[in-house]
Amino acid sequence: MIQSSPFTKKKNSVAELMLWVVGATLLGLAAQVYYFGGGVIVNIILATVTALATEAIILKLRKRPIKQTLFDGSALATAWLLALALPPLLPWWMTVLGASFAIIFAKQIYGGLGNNIFNPAMVAYVLLLISFPVQMTAWLPPVELAQNPASISETLSFIFTGQGSNGLTVEQMRLGVDSFSMATPLDHIKSELSQGYRIVELKESPIFSNLSGVGWQWVNLGFLIGGIILLFKKVINWHIPFGVLAGIFITSSLLYVSNPDQYLSPLFHWFAGATMLGAFFIATDPVTASTTPKGRIIFGLGIGILTVLIRVFGGYPDAIAFAVLLLNMAVPLIDYYTKPRVYGHQNKSRNGL
Amino acid sequence: MERSTFKSEIPIYQIPGGIHPAEHKTESNQAAIQKLPLGKEFTINLKAQAGKRCLPVVSVGDKVLKGQVIAESDGIFSSYQHAPTSGTITAIEKLPIAHPSGMKDLCIRLEADSQDQWCDLKATKKYQELNREQLLARIFEAGIVGLGGASFPSHIKLQRQDGIKTLILNAAECEPYISCDDRLLQEHSKQILEGAMVIAQLYDDIEVIVGIEDNKPKAIQALVDAREACNKKNIKIAVVPTKYPSGGEKQLIQLLTGKEVPKGGLPADLGIVMHNVATCFAIYEAIIEGKPLIKRLVTLTGEGCNQPGNYWVPIGTPIHELVSATNSNRANHYIMGGPMMGFDIQNTEAGIIKATNCVIMNQQNPRDAEMACIRCGACMDACPASLLPQQLYWHAKSDEFEKAEEYDLFDCIECGACAYVCPSNIPLVQYYRYAKSSIRNQRVEKSKADKARERHEARQERLERVKREKAEKHRKAAEARRKAAEAAGQDDAKKAAVAAALARVQAKKKNQKEESS
Repeated sequence: MIQSSPFTKKKNSVAELMLWVVGATLLGLAAQVYYFGGGVIVNIILATVTALATEAIILKLRKRPIKQTLFDGSALATAWLLALALPPLLPWWMTVLGASFAIIFAKQIYGGLGNNIFNPAMVAYVLLLISFPVQMTAWLPPVELAQNPASISETLSFIFTGQGSNGLTVEQMRLGVDSFSMATPLDHIKSELSQGYRIVELKESPIFSNLSGVGWQWVNLGFLIGGIILLFKKVINWHIPFGVLAGIFITSSLLYVSNPDQYLSPLFHWFAGATMLGAFFIATDPVTASTTPKGRIIFGLGIGILTVLIRVFGGYPDAIAFAVLLLNMAVPLIDYYTKPRVYGHQNKSRNGL
Repeated sequence: MERSTFKSEIPIYQIPGGIHPAEHKTESNQAAIQKLPLGKEFTINLKAQAGKRCLPVVSVGDKVLKGQVIAESDGIFSSYQHAPTSGTITAIEKLPIAHPSGMKDLCIRLEADSQDQWCDLKATKKYQELNREQLLARIFEAGIVGLGGASFPSHIKLQRQDGIKTLILNAAECEPYISCDDRLLQEHSKQILEGAMVIAQLYDDIEVIVGIEDNKPKAIQALVDAREACNKKNIKIAVVPTKYPSGGEKQLIQLLTGKEVPKGGLPADLGIVMHNVATCFAIYEAIIEGKPLIKRLVTLTGEGCNQPGNYWVPIGTPIHELVSATNSNRANHYIMGGPMMGFDIQNTEAGIIKATNCVIMNQQNPRDAEMACIRCGACMDACPASLLPQQLYWHAKSDEFEKAEEYDLFDCIECGACAYVCPSNIPLVQYYRYAKSSIRNQRVEKSKADKARERHEARQERLERVKREKAEKHRKAAEARRKAAEAAGQDDAKKAAVAAALARVQAKKKNQKEESS
């Protein structure tokens, strides 16, 4: 068979990249398990099995090579990232629905890996969030603040039957030591600010800690470290995470400086919610992100800016998913206008606006 | 691999992208240059240089001496070929050539008489006494082409004189496995610099820079020593960090000057002329010793090669002789050139050409399956031309050639860095070559179609004109008839009828006359 040059190849593969992404989430995952129980592990298993099974079925229907594609790690990464974003006691069928929707409608419908416009994990997340807002925002309090910390059997019982083995409801599980139902820090701030409280008063609540919320800061730190590992392993480029964090920083700083009573500090935004997971693991999905150096920074900045704007002015406490999807839409445009200057070409923007 | 600590004598700039593949140079660059035993048969490809085919000036049965002209230039854009040894011309016909397609082309086959007897050589010790035209003519007649890989006839490259301020000797040799320039520098730096001085004499005042990668410490030392020995202090040695493809002409210019060859332009537009060190050596031999270019240094290497090293190989030596001379029978796959830009040899009957710097002998391994592009952009980060290879791939794959051109497909130098780093094992260069050749074919088709259309339109116009002229003639005749009738007056209708008939006859005659004439 005639082959074209080059005849030598760097030893790397898509599967390797995907496994690095999954592996780098382990620190953040460990923090999540520590503070919010083992539910996330169950979610990961459910999502992964569903995603792989769905991918296999669709590939079979599309008459595509199954083995090669199934083990490219992309379905695994999608399932994994989706599961990390789901509340720990989410009913099993919602996770299954989300994971299969991600594979079928956000990935395979477009032609499979490499052809999808939207980040599959985030499409599924948004589908679930809009369809089941109550369950999707039912995060547990960090274990040290919980009235009823969930054991593994308890967790399994909730996920698969909808209630605890001793008759507790999810609502009861969400009670804090002070017998108030506990929301995530971002959710708490959002609802209390609308009641007329000031940030400084809200910060009194036990759910807050140095950087952001109890537990949440460690989850975010875990993902930050994992992300830095990915940067060093050259699995991802610095442009997008930098853009996201810079976008968040700039926007939240402007708001914070204008009125510290009403707006959270940039540091809080960085270490709350899904910021670090989003910046290093979700926004960096190569398929749906911008691919030019300048474009990647703009893409990241857009996500960061939108995240803060939606968190502060929108209807949802966190907004990484919406911001990512909105910027996914803008990628073709961004890419087109950020082409690098090619060797030997004189004018910088050859196409103009 | 060992790195030189020699400090570059000029500042070095950066190039974007680039890769660091395993170098595999030590397999071949440790041993001294060797000579192959004289072969029996040589196949000299007449279309082995950039430009036109050479025209044979010998016939089958002719006896030729070593170095004798056997094919000459078409006079415009071609080169000369000389007999690599003395012997008899046995064939001038289409034979397999070293080409990725395995196709045949016009070759001269020479059977050696094992005398290896030189023809008369016109050695010139004092080249300083020759003028520009004489030097260029000698270079032209010695059949010298660029030995770095492109085989561009050197006399054409050296033609342009005005504005040339810098001569760069390309010794970067950035492709893995290849070490012929490295070894040539280690053993013949003096001659190379002498050859460079010949080139320098073609210009009024020229700066000479040798560009070399830092993975050739011995070659760099040899250059320094040679410069000392021949007292050529004004030659600067520029050491660039080892990175593929720093030896590409455009890339080396960027590394050494920080400037880019403008799109569609030539290095000469920047006042630069670049020659490979092997070409300088060939020029030295052509001018000082009068020897035409009939041999070159070839790196024989690869996992399947039993005696890797650098060998002087006469042009036209069949590949299979190189294989058997190095006892490399366990190899089943041969690459001419380096692993990044070389090509598969389909038929080992083919002879080596002036551009053959390396033959890699190995065992063919099946490639990993091509997977979907995940747009990771690793290719973009590796591209030395700052292209967007993922976009080019996307458009080439879906036959959107206009889009591919919009993304500057033709600025791709096919270095293969993108395909090397692709985690999805996509043979990207293959897609680009496909798109480029499709676009070139389309252009040819379009120009043919345009010509046909122009011809058709011209014919249509001519037919229309003839028709118009006929109609005009008829109108005039009718007019004449009407006038005649009027002149005859209405009083005599009979007369008028006769007059009209006469006028008709007259007009008809006139018409016939005109038509026949």
